[in-house]
Amino acid sequence: MSYFIVGYYALLIGASCLAAFYQKRGVFLILFSLTLISFIVGIVGGESSLWFITLCAAALALAAGTSFAFREFLVIVLPTELSKAVKTAPLTAAFGLFVIMTYAIAGVFAPIIAPFGEAEVISSAFAPADENMILGADQLGRDLFSRLVYGARNTVGLALTATICAFLLGAVGGMLAATIGGWFDQFMGRLVDVIMSVPSLIFALLLLSIFGTNVAILVIIIAVIYAPRVFRLTRAVAGNVVVMDYIEAARLRGEGTFYLIRREILPNSTAPLIAEFGLEFCFVFLLVAGLSFLGLGIQPPTADWGSMVRENATLISFGEITPLFPAAAIALLTVAVNFVVDWMLYRSSGLKS
Amino acid sequence: MKQDQDVLLQIEDLRIEGYSDEKWIEIVHGVDLTLKRGQVMGLIGESGAGKSTIGLAAMGFARDGCRISGGSIEFDGMELTTTSESDRRALRGSRIAYVAQSAAASFNPAHKLIDQHTEAPVHYRIRKRMESQEDAMQLYERLRLPNPQEIGFRYPHQVSGGQLQRAMTAMAMACRPDLIIFDEPTTALDVTTQIEVLAAIRDIVDQFNTAAIYITHDLAVVAQMSDVIKVLLKGNEVEEADTETMLKSPKEDYTKSLWAVRSFQRDEKKRPENTQPIMSVQNVDAAYGPVKVLQDVSFDVYPGMTVAVVGESGSGKSTTARCITGLLPPTSGKIVANGMELPPSYKQRTKDQLRQAQMIYQMADTALNPKVRICDIIGRPAAFYGGLKGTKLKSRVDELLDLIELEPSKYYHRYPPELSGGQKQRIGIARALAAEPSFIICDEVTSALDQLVAEGILKLLDRLQRELNLAYMFITHDLATVRSIADEVVVMKEGRVVEQGPKGEMFTPPHHPYTDLLLSSVPEMDPNWLTTVLEERGVDNIGEAANV
Amino acid sequence: MSGVLSIVLKRLGLGLLTLLIISILIFGAVEMLPGDMAEAVLGQGATAENLAALRAQMGLDQPAPIRYLDWLSGAVVGDFGISAVSGASVAETIGPRFRNTLFLAAYAAVIAVPVAIILGVVVALLRDTLFDRVANVATLTSISSPEFFLGYILILYLSVKTGMFPAIAKLNDGMTFFELLDRTFLPALTMVLVVVAHMMRMTRASIINLLASPYIEMARLKGTPAWKVIVKHALPNAWAPIINVIALNLAYLITGVVLVEVVFVYPGIGQLLVDAVTKRDFPVVQACCLIFAATFILLNLAADVGAILTNPRLRHPK
Repeated sequence: MSYFIVGYYALLIGASCLAAFYQKRGVFLILFSLTLISFIVGIVGGESSLWFITLCAAALALAAGTSFAFREFLVIVLPTELSKAVKTAPLTAAFGLFVIMTYAIAGVFAPIIAPFGEAEVISSAFAPADENMILGADQLGRDLFSRLVYGARNTVGLALTATICAFLLGAVGGMLAATIGGWFDQFMGRLVDVIMSVPSLIFALLLLSIFGTNVAILVIIIAVIYAPRVFRLTRAVAGNVVVMDYIEAARLRGEGTFYLIRREILPNSTAPLIAEFGLEFCFVFLLVAGLSFLGLGIQPPTADWGSMVRENATLISFGEITPLFPAAAIALLTVAVNFVVDWMLYRSSGLKS
Repeated sequence: MKQDQDVLLQIEDLRIEGYSDEKWIEIVHGVDLTLKRGQVMGLIGESGAGKSTIGLAAMGFARDGCRISGGSIEFDGMELTTTSESDRRALRGSRIAYVAQSAAASFNPAHKLIDQHTEAPVHYRIRKRMESQEDAMQLYERLRLPNPQEIGFRYPHQVSGGQLQRAMTAMAMACRPDLIIFDEPTTALDVTTQIEVLAAIRDIVDQFNTAAIYITHDLAVVAQMSDVIKVLLKGNEVEEADTETMLKSPKEDYTKSLWAVRSFQRDEKKRPENTQPIMSVQNVDAAYGPVKVLQDVSFDVYPGMTVAVVGESGSGKSTTARCITGLLPPTSGKIVANGMELPPSYKQRTKDQLRQAQMIYQMADTALNPKVRICDIIGRPAAFYGGLKGTKLKSRVDELLDLIELEPSKYYHRYPPELSGGQKQRIGIARALAAEPSFIICDEVTSALDQLVAEGILKLLDRLQRELNLAYMFITHDLATVRSIADEVVVMKEGRVVEQGPKGEMFTPPHHPYTDLLLSSVPEMDPNWLTTVLEERGVDNIGEAANV
Repeated sequence: MSGVLSIVLKRLGLGLLTLLIISILIFGAVEMLPGDMAEAVLGQGATAENLAALRAQMGLDQPAPIRYLDWLSGAVVGDFGISAVSGASVAETIGPRFRNTLFLAAYAAVIAVPVAIILGVVVALLRDTLFDRVANVATLTSISSPEFFLGYILILYLSVKTGMFPAIAKLNDGMTFFELLDRTFLPALTMVLVVVAHMMRMTRASIINLLASPYIEMARLKGTPAWKVIVKHALPNAWAPIINVIALNLAYLITGVVLVEVVFVYPGIGQLLVDAVTKRDFPVVQACCLIFAATFILLNLAADVGAILTNPRLRHPK
């Protein structure tokens, strides 16, 4: 038995005892069940699996620490009202904000951060990592790290543009439908029902097969496919506002539709709409990634996470984790946005009651 | 020790906390309560007073997000705060029962009424299933439900609101409990239905000598139902006394303010001669889709006069307002303003026609956009109709704020959620005034407010009427309001005008039978009111009627 | 019952109408091609004879409405025409692959549905505890991961590194059922991971929503024991949301299968669709899209009808 195993269990059991002593029920339950799980996993998988658990725990601890520090940082930096909100944010939300900020920086400053160009061939195919290339090279000998950084600009940029288009289309439609009502509302509702009765990926594939794949068409197609979701939500949110007496008062005053939307409805629907924007982004982002993975998204040599996974997929069968990096980059951002959205939804539902 | 045995429920220093904004906040701050066997205690207070929370605590129950954090609750010698949850649960339904505010939502839609009725007695092995069904039918009969043999076999959505509330009272009685908590059981009902339910509840509680806690915000109702009244304010007790004493000589200022009978009363004005009505509703019919909601409604409103439109929910009084404003174009008939016929839909009316008729709403919360500043709320009509800008607009807003007795410098930049209910209602009035109208529709403007605040609003409206020669159409179900401010009264029922005339005539008999029913169904502060009314109607005791 | 029947019939009619509109949409979309289908398939280097031959073969000389009716009447009886690329019958190409896809989806569903519903209910009952929060983070993470990420992780750890399961889901004739299950375990597991997360969250939300109803509080205030509150008072009202969750996720399984099939090189309809899109084989694309859309609409329809049939208010009209 190695020192590592002895230390591992000693630490876990010691920590559980401490937690139990200080009546931290939740902490104790986690630690002790982790100990029990470690017994089983350790016997089945040997020392390496315990290392794996340790690494996971360390990664979690690091993430938690970063989130905590970042939250404190935000509380200090942000103006009073925002910082009050951030103060009560769970660590997951702080983690999400941190990740989103990191991605934003990577995307905006990609040419400065990336050591090489996105299409620059600098070594042999699948060259292993060295001091020049921290993650090694891809199937054409391009620096994987640089392409990952540029991917933040291309993939996220595309998804963001498409989301904004879908959002504008859906939100304006939803607001108009709620405010005007009548046949327009009915018609839009039916139209949206029809579009939403085709699965989005399938719809995207159909349209892409016809119109071909270039970035502008991609954006338009995604906007058309996802606008109905936004429409439904906006229609519902604005529908709740439209029945308020202050809207009736404004109507009876003789105000126009545009005034009603801009001054009366919009200020009362921002919170759910922002959360929806986040959710929408996740859907669009996953669809864009999926399409690129299928070879129907952003075309090479532009760096794009989805297609990077596909191009390097063969490495998986050699036990390499390189192709997982771009996939993980997609997952991480989606998780981060979801964490933030989750917090915002929780806040808005909590504030209502 | 005889005295102690007589006490059924003894609550001491009860503290309850609620969870909000990630921390526990105390919402009930040390309330004491003693209830004897067979006694009925009324818990009264505004929303947020903690009435329901205390009522549920008497069952040893706290809603999700609430917890009992201190004090003791002793029910028949058993300390509820320290006993096990299973012991507490064994009390619920068997010895302490609960009647909820909304019976429609509180009956499980998936089961028949009688199956929900028999659940507790069968569970507690008090009665067998069949016996319990028999018992349910008898209780239904005592509560004067129609078809007592059959009604239990219906599903909740197949039964009307007033009947459901009585069925729920029957369900609470199923195990013959020692204590029943009534949580605003008649709040959601109309006055004419309310009186039946009140009578049914009072008699059955009387007959079985059940103790009860009756929670309500309606003083007149609590005066009928309870032996003792306890007044609550923001989780604190204000005072407690037996009903007679409490009604005659309340001690605390807050209670006095609640009790204050409308002192404001205005003499009836006569119609001005040789003038045409400022707003005239002529033979109006209206419908929502295929459903006819108004039939042949006609009445006139003259300058400087107040017409009160009275009726229960569904009588069409608000619909009439919607027809006048043009939100619901009438299917036939005319709306005539100052001798000129208005286009049926507000969309076709001119800016000036829209300006002439303004509206003040019942719920100031939904009538003012929470995200718009006071200055913009009031300023918008002035800018929109009068074209005022810059300093002129500001001085007009200041003038309006002065008019509604709110200090301009203090309120100019505020948002509605920062204001109290009465202040919000004043802002609503100012917004209507900003358009410089000649006719204002007041839709239940005082019914969501406390008595004193409501009176302030009525006085303000009266003053404005005199100063600006405004005509009001006052929609209300509250006859006290009608007495104080109206010049003429219109009584509506099921979309038709039943009776109309000057106030003095309307309040002196003989009445149309419906007006009579409506007037007599509105609860009064007199504790004997319910008994008197029932006697007058020829039913003195429901229980006796059932026993015959 | 007649009230319910007419509502169900109305809903069925609406479903059929939607399907019809979708078929027009799918057919019409291809009509919007610059040039026509033959040009798109053969590309720039096509000779006039080739084009003409293909046009004749695909019946492109007819006007669009007639071709649509032809196509639709064929589709109803399972005849989707001839592949523009291989010349083989579309129905024959799709048939076995559709079966494979259905098998994979069913495999995943059989595991995912019970697990997700049980876990969802458990999480709802334990809401706001530590377990609930961990489950929340875990399900969010799972939902947020693209299918191919989960798929490759499973390949890496359960196949390449440990060799427990095959990485490539190649199917041969004459495989035993057990072999089939073993071959398709990883793709099925990938889908299970995503779907369970979705379903758990939806189940949790609808159960919590249900438990907040006044009649549940009333049941508790009548002294009903906790298990009976759930079984007798919550469950009869929970069918509609649960059916809804299941149907939505089955629909998701049917379409989410596209990416998973590509990752595991599984011979299903999803992979076929992707191939057809890259090769611009429009008859196949149209057929696949119609099949996917029809499945999706049918499942949504089933959810709505289920909700109507289990609604006590509709079952016992006034």
